[in-house]
Amino acid sequence: MTEQQQPPPQQDPPDADGAEMAGTELADAVPFNGLRATGLSRSFGEVHAVVSMDLHAPAGEVTALIGPNGSGKTTLLLMLASLLAPDAGTISVMGIDPVSNPAAARAKIGWMPDTLGVWEALTAREILSVMGRFYQLPKMQIPARVAELLELVNLSSLADQKARVLSRGQQQRLSLARALIHDPEVLLLDEPASGLDPGSRIALRTILRKLAGEGKVVVVSSHVLAELDEIADGAVFVNQGRSVLTQSVDQAAGQGRKYSITALDSAVLAAALTSMGVSFEAESARRDSVVVGVGSEREAASLLQDLVAAGVDVCAFAPATGALEETYMSMEVEQP
Amino acid sequence: MSLTQYSSGVSAVVGMELRQRLRSRGWYIMLAIWFALIWLVTALTWISWKAQSGYNFDPGFGRVGPGPLIFEAVLAFVLLFGLLVAPAFSANAISGDRAAGTLAIMQVTLLRPGQLLWGKFLASWIAALAFLVVSVPFLIFGISQGGLGVGYIVVGLLMLAGELGVVCALGVGISALANRPLFSIVVTYLTVAALAFGTLIAFGLGMMLSNGTVQANQSYYKNMEMYQGPEGPDAEYLDGDMYPAPPKPKDITDENNEYACYGPLVEQPAPHSERVAWMLGMNPFVVVADAIPYPDRNTPAQANYTSGMFEMISQSARYVQAGPEATYQCANGKVAPQYLSKQAPLWPLGLGLQLLVTAGVLALGWRALRTPAGKLPKGTRVA
Repeated sequence: MTEQQQPPPQQDPPDADGAEMAGTELADAVPFNGLRATGLSRSFGEVHAVVSMDLHAPAGEVTALIGPNGSGKTTLLLMLASLLAPDAGTISVMGIDPVSNPAAARAKIGWMPDTLGVWEALTAREILSVMGRFYQLPKMQIPARVAELLELVNLSSLADQKARVLSRGQQQRLSLARALIHDPEVLLLDEPASGLDPGSRIALRTILRKLAGEGKVVVVSSHVLAELDEIADGAVFVNQGRSVLTQSVDQAAGQGRKYSITALDSAVLAAALTSMGVSFEAESARRDSVVVGVGSEREAASLLQDLVAAGVDVCAFAPATGALEETYMSMEVEQP
Repeated sequence: MSLTQYSSGVSAVVGMELRQRLRSRGWYIMLAIWFALIWLVTALTWISWKAQSGYNFDPGFGRVGPGPLIFEAVLAFVLLFGLLVAPAFSANAISGDRAAGTLAIMQVTLLRPGQLLWGKFLASWIAALAFLVVSVPFLIFGISQGGLGVGYIVVGLLMLAGELGVVCALGVGISALANRPLFSIVVTYLTVAALAFGTLIAFGLGMMLSNGTVQANQSYYKNMEMYQGPEGPDAEYLDGDMYPAPPKPKDITDENNEYACYGPLVEQPAPHSERVAWMLGMNPFVVVADAIPYPDRNTPAQANYTSGMFEMISQSARYVQAGPEATYQCANGKVAPQYLSKQAPLWPLGLGLQLLVTAGVLALGWRALRTPAGKLPKGTRVA
């Protein structure tokens, strides 16, 4: 398998930042450029899957959708993808209401489900070609588009293999290519990283950043929070069918979080921390490191300086958790 | 959406479905078993005719070859097995996709529910028709063995294709409604059973409930005269006291060679079969048998032909459809015709009703495929 091969690294800072700023500015303008859902609710019989959710995903940004299992993420994405009608609330996909005008919305939406769902007897190339026909792409353009996408998700060498023989991660990448076939403006990805090997994860990250850089709306639901720190611009935290918090990754990074410190001599480190009046606890996972609570990144920097100045041989000093993970853990998520 | 765009979507679905089917080994295995079975049935029918032809060899009149026999046996067999095989192609068409998580992927594209249904239906129909094509050589063999025209095979194949289409469409419609492939397959088989056997049972029960009366007078058999008349050839053998001759009726209202109707009209109990004939008409075998032409038996030259199985089915169905007013002896003082060739055929009504039911199921299926989905059946997931 050739999964390790990655597409050329993407330089996101200049492009993506520009697009992000444009996105945030436009969010306040009257025709919001992007995907917006307000007050969505949906119940299945007695089960209230989504009670009240708001989501703003501006164009040019990657928005993460984070929440525990059964919190309504998939239901929300199904409503955004025009497959499920909300009981209440409104959706606007680049200004189009998918409930009243699904065909127009679908031309702009690319949806990657959390279930794999591949036609096992067809080859990767055939699956993408038939999807192109379902999206009414001009017949002449389909082969080129399919080849381009197979290249993008690194499946060119397996293009003529039956989907049955592809591994889970390969099927997942095929599923991503399928969602991209009609070059959608809005990309809804339900757990795209599950089952991917590290190389493919990095490739996925690059692809998503590139798409956001092109000014597309990207909504990603994921459990791999550390991953999202690097992909997402903003995050929407949901729990029990409600959106509980909307936070940009910068905000998340700025908030207080735990840092893990390791020194060559842990006794010296403990003594230094005690003398500075910093409370700490031994980390459960690794033997010789301690965890301290730090209010901000600035505080973290000065703590490190102080430790070094005090003569502690610090060999590792890093956030114990990802920024979004910190928020997630502080949400007091209730697992049903 | 223009018609070309619409049909392009349909053909994309058909192409995808057929491609998947052509790659499944099961389809070929079934086709091979099918071919072998029909070969066996044809051979056995032909051998049994050969064995019997020693007794019924009669070049004077009647059939000269096993043609109608083989043709009818193969046709009936193909219909029976077609009814059994067609649900296998159609009844998991959509529920299977739903279970595999691929239905939502199609629904989220620009494909309309109608295109999905049409595509799935056409693909399953084409797959079922392949079985019909395999059986064509045997039908041709049957035709060539006996004095049957090409029209028989054309009408027979068309009707078989139609019946397979009905079953495929029913299967696709049911599969759009069901959540699990197993459930939709079972329900489709039950529906086919309802058409093949349920219609017969329903018709039988319906006959019992549709008792009525008919105004008829009495019949007088002319052949009886031979034994009873004193000037008859066998008069010496018979004792006039043992068989008191009924008086020759004076008030004959109508007569034919066999009997005469006489006397005043009286109410006679008779089931009004024409009220429940439509149930019988929905039976696929009745539809096919009734649609296949046969010679007009009212001409004396052909009256002695042994009629085939399909002809018998067709005649009984038409008899039932005509009801007692036309078939009860001496109803309204008229003799009843022995052969109902002029009677309107039953199969258009039966096929029409089948299509009506099918259209209803497909419409419900179409409703279930619409997205954004409003109500969902309990315990289901869109994806």
